[in-house]
Amino acid sequence: MRRKLPSFVLVVLLALATAGVAAASNGGFTPVTPESPNASHTQTAYYVILGFTSAIFVVVEGLLVVFIVKYRRRGRGRAVEGAQVHGHTRLELIWTVIPVLILCAIGVVVFVELPKINDAPASNNPVRITVEGHQYYWQFDYPGGARSIGTLHVPTGAVVDLNVISPDVIHSWWIPALGGKVQAIPGHPNHLWFKANKPGSYEGQCAELCGVYHASMLARVVAEPQQSYENYISTTARQTIGKQEWSGVCATCHGNLGQGGYGPAIANNTLLTQQSALEGILENGFTGTQGAMPPVGKGWTNAQISALVAYVKKHIYKAAPLGATSGG
Amino acid sequence: MAARSEAVYPVGWKSGRIASWLVTVDHKRIGILYIATSLMWFVAGGILALLMRSQLATPNEHFLTKNSYNEVLTMHGTTMIFLVIVPILAGFGNFLVPLMIGARDMAFPRLNALSYWLFLLGGIVLWLSWFSKGGGPHAGWWSYPTLSENFPWASPGHGQDYWILSLHILSLSSLLAAINFIVTIHNMRAPGMTWMRMPLFVWAMETYAILLLLALPAISAAVTMLLLDRTVGTHFFIPPHGSLLLYQHLFWFFGHPEVYIMVLPVFGMISEILPVFSRKPIFGYKAVAFSTIGIAFFSMLVWAHHMFTTGMPVGLDSFFMISSMVIAVPTGIKIFNWIATTWRGNLILDTPMLFALGFVALFTMGGLSGIFLAAFPVDWQLNDSYYVVAHFHYVLFGGSAFGFFGGLYYWWPKMFGRMLDERLGKWHFWLMFVGFNLTFLPQHMLGLLGMPRRIYTYHHGGLWEAYNLMSSIGSGVMALSIAVFLANVWIAHGLRKGVRAGNDPWLADTLEWYTTSPPPTHNFDSVPYVTSARPLRDLRRRLAEQPQ
Repeated sequence: MRRKLPSFVLVVLLALATAGVAAASNGGFTPVTPESPNASHTQTAYYVILGFTSAIFVVVEGLLVVFIVKYRRRGRGRAVEGAQVHGHTRLELIWTVIPVLILCAIGVVVFVELPKINDAPASNNPVRITVEGHQYYWQFDYPGGARSIGTLHVPTGAVVDLNVISPDVIHSWWIPALGGKVQAIPGHPNHLWFKANKPGSYEGQCAELCGVYHASMLARVVAEPQQSYENYISTTARQTIGKQEWSGVCATCHGNLGQGGYGPAIANNTLLTQQSALEGILENGFTGTQGAMPPVGKGWTNAQISALVAYVKKHIYKAAPLGATSGG
Repeated sequence: MAARSEAVYPVGWKSGRIASWLVTVDHKRIGILYIATSLMWFVAGGILALLMRSQLATPNEHFLTKNSYNEVLTMHGTTMIFLVIVPILAGFGNFLVPLMIGARDMAFPRLNALSYWLFLLGGIVLWLSWFSKGGGPHAGWWSYPTLSENFPWASPGHGQDYWILSLHILSLSSLLAAINFIVTIHNMRAPGMTWMRMPLFVWAMETYAILLLLALPAISAAVTMLLLDRTVGTHFFIPPHGSLLLYQHLFWFFGHPEVYIMVLPVFGMISEILPVFSRKPIFGYKAVAFSTIGIAFFSMLVWAHHMFTTGMPVGLDSFFMISSMVIAVPTGIKIFNWIATTWRGNLILDTPMLFALGFVALFTMGGLSGIFLAAFPVDWQLNDSYYVVAHFHYVLFGGSAFGFFGGLYYWWPKMFGRMLDERLGKWHFWLMFVGFNLTFLPQHMLGLLGMPRRIYTYHHGGLWEAYNLMSSIGSGVMALSIAVFLANVWIAHGLRKGVRAGNDPWLADTLEWYTTSPPPTHNFDSVPYVTSARPLRDLRRRLAEQPQ
């Protein structure tokens, strides 16, 4: 017994630590609190499966532990044989049939919940949004031509239909509170829907390895009243697109002030002020001595690029001191 | 024997201490080479895992760069799957199959040696990729295009090419080994060893080999197309004319059977160890043997459950959900039969038995978390999150690795003639068991909280940080357990000599224990006629019945 003491202490410490953090919220024992009907129904299916699997877990591990304790050696010699039982057909049939029944039950629950998870509720005017996964940001196209980066604004309570696409590599769209995920696959548009039950900000991030900055490809959905949403797509989105592009796209590699980071410092680079040259790099990418820049602005409009140039000229670009040569 | 051969033949360079291993075609030596090489990669892949856990221990860490993190995760996965689990099982198969069926060697000894050297070469090629232009491969062990394509912003350089080349070499190695196993098992069984008297490990190796033959062509085709895309400008996987989903289907058509390739032989080992240490026959031999075949069959029909989030039609999703759930039934049968094997036994809790029981406990957990993932609407939430990382580590580490460590402790005396130390063995088991659960249990929670896999850092504190830290501490405990294992080997063979094993230290059931430990080159002077699935027990009883 003394030999098992250290592991026993460790197990107790682990249990205490787990209980402690778990008490702080739902503890990660169920998916993130759902705020959209599809996520709620996924949660229901999760609970049902959790119920069945917990019961199986208790029975199987319980039997295992009981047998280990009950039939342990207790000083018997190695040559002492246990009961020479070769099998029991009826018993084996029972433990074949019971799992089949349990799996059928789980299957039925899944198929009952499925339409409520998969099919968007009928709606007169769902908000149709194109979500484009790029290295390393999410771009949203709203009805009426507005565009935003990183943060998606939606009206609370409206059915939102997402058309998820990608121009470069596979990404995966995932906001846990608003339902499941779907891959953004080049050449293969996918659909997903959600309906934010209440106003708020819902966070998520890209779930499919998409390159060096995979971990920085964050996404946020802001659900707000209809009026604010309309304001956003008619005015705010257009006014702030330059800033969004800088901080959601350029700053990831070049730093918030263009001071450099993974990518080279560009705050002093005159290229920033030349719309046509910049357009070429954004559209096609660029391979330089320090590595390759992805074509981050593939599909950007002229208006978008002018907005970026305007923002950068005002806030980022600093002419290099006389005599210095521009890098990169 | 040795004396006679020395008298007849002059001692050539081939008999040298090292050279004899280089030119060997003896299945036992090849098996040991396989196992030793796999364990070396296991340590290397484990160090990569420790690097990742160090990077993720706290938020916003800068222990690894994001570039090297992606290389490390790709190499960890590829190494553990292709250079550790698959080949170590081939190693056990090589050592054990001829001994268990009472044969002199594998059917094609030279081909067998070629398989091993190809495996070693494939591993070296993979690890050389670190030094290639552009660094190691960094598109994950799936290497999904277009991230694995030769675009400047995807996978330029040659790391990915090395990965492809290595997989080709390893596939060839596995194909040759698979053919060899099948021919050996079909043709070289001892007199009296019918299919229903064959050790369950041999059943498992037969199934392992068949699955390899069926699954490997798909991955070979996929990576060949990827190589052509990368080097000669084809567009198999590049839109608008190519399809990224084609790669995913081909990859997982191989990838899911691969999971069973990595676990069925371990099921076989458990089915050998549990009865011996329960002093009982396996409960329901036929059920265990046939459920192996059932699992193998259904494993060919479940591949797209890895692709539930690619936007497949719901009809297909449903098919793959049902087929994935069906596979839980034969797996459940095995688990219940194993537990029933301990019922009313005389359980001898030596190290091999501890690992076998640990396997049953942990694999059950991995099986149960798999049911959540099979239910595709739930998978839409859990796919590609840390929940999946936790799930497959319960299957492949809690399952396969606990199983092969059990196998190592069990067959070590047969391989080397000396026992490993029991006390250290038990330390190894308990540290690994606790460390494993500490590492991977919290990862279920991380996935449910919304942590995707393969991110090199995260910004959240609170629960994310707590669970990640717990997981990193656990990985350190596991590393310690492996150090204990290596110390055990060193003590038994270097520092002090371990206890001599004798032919049959565990009073086991199968033919490999009939010969000496370690067995002579030709394995057996004679093989007894096999009258049941437990020939050694039959023999012991016959001896006991003889008048003194």
